[in-house]
Amino acid sequence: MDRIGKYRGSDKMADLVVNNYRTLLVMSRFGIGLGFAEHTIDEVCREHGVDTRTFMAVVNMLLHNEVTENDVLSVSPVSLLMYLHNSHDYFLGFRLPGIRHDLVRVLGNPEDDLTRAIINYFDQYVDEVRKHMSYEEEMVFPYVRNLLAGTQDGNYNIGIFHKHHDQVEAKLKEFKQILIKYYPGDSSNELNGVLFDIFNCEYDLASHNEIEDHLFIPLIENIEHKIRSTK
Amino acid sequence: MSRPLRITIAESSEIIRRGLVATLKNIGTLQAEVHEVTEAGQLRSSLGWQQPDMLIINPSMISVLSLQQIRKDGMAQDIKCIALQTSLADASVTRSFDEVLSIYDSGEQIGDKLTRLMGRSETDKRHESLSQREKEVIVCVVKGMTNKQIADKLCLSAHTVVTHRRNISAKLDIHSTAGLTIYAIVNKLVELDEIDKAGQTE
Repeated sequence: MDRIGKYRGSDKMADLVVNNYRTLLVMSRFGIGLGFAEHTIDEVCREHGVDTRTFMAVVNMLLHNEVTENDVLSVSPVSLLMYLHNSHDYFLGFRLPGIRHDLVRVLGNPEDDLTRAIINYFDQYVDEVRKHMSYEEEMVFPYVRNLLAGTQDGNYNIGIFHKHHDQVEAKLKEFKQILIKYYPGDSSNELNGVLFDIFNCEYDLASHNEIEDHLFIPLIENIEHKIRSTK
Repeated sequence: MSRPLRITIAESSEIIRRGLVATLKNIGTLQAEVHEVTEAGQLRSSLGWQQPDMLIINPSMISVLSLQQIRKDGMAQDIKCIALQTSLADASVTRSFDEVLSIYDSGEQIGDKLTRLMGRSETDKRHESLSQREKEVIVCVVKGMTNKQIADKLCLSAHTVVTHRRNISAKLDIHSTAGLTIYAIVNKLVELDEIDKAGQTE
């Protein structure tokens, strides 16, 4: 991946972010802060020790949902692995707790039946996401790290993960629909604000899944294939 | 709808094909997964692989005979075949299709035609309100009862309970117990204390 839409590595990072604000969603997960001044995408990535091609491939998935075979071949597995791990931390440690915190604040009386049912729904959802991500952290990532170090565990392959990989954002969609269709009461700026966050989070989770399905899994399949053919 | 409509578009012109894909995406009532086929040679394997609900095809890519073959092939028996008309054509060419789209149709017209074609039994259900029986089933579900327990309590067969649950999901577009709980509380079908109690006694 040598360009994001019309952006190349030699274009200014600030231009990319200003014109594609969704890029902000992934910056911190690459360990990149703000304050780009006039630096190019390439320069900013290098300063932060991020592989530029991996960064561009991820941003491209996020913005355009596009991935080519070339991207898969040019991405750095170590960088992508770090990115995915940071994403998990971000969703579980920051994003979802943030939404929960806002929900509790907005829904009011915590003893109310409806409030309890809604929070309960959300907690069940977060549990599912946590299970989904723990599986990756405990099974898939160690396997891939070993693979990169040259030792292949004979019992596991990335195809197993591929088969089990379900979409964690689907239930968030249902949650959002229930609130929109059935939550009683007057219009509330606060609740609408939380809903807006949920929409964004759903988009972000879907994109995270797409990256795993269309970038990460093919990349690892490729490495597995190479190792098998040299044996 | 339980899953998006699978549509295959077979049209060799990139401009027309992409135009149609973009138009379909803009139809709000249509949830579709669109697959594109660029040449007649790919059509057979693509249909077998994609198993689409609908095929929108430029009549010039297909002879009337092979349209029958597509339906007979078994892999796509119920497929709806729609002609994509880009130029004037003899009525005998388009007669064997289920519907005809013209490149001058508006997005709305296309949406209407496709919706009519699919019958929409599931989406129609959404507009129906819940029956008294279905409400009773919801109450049981949110109390954590199994299908068997619900059947015993309401004197229904387990099979009927499953049917009720399926209809409830289709009408409300809610597929989880936690979601039904929220619905039940909002609509005053149940109070949370009852659910907690039911959970403790089990």
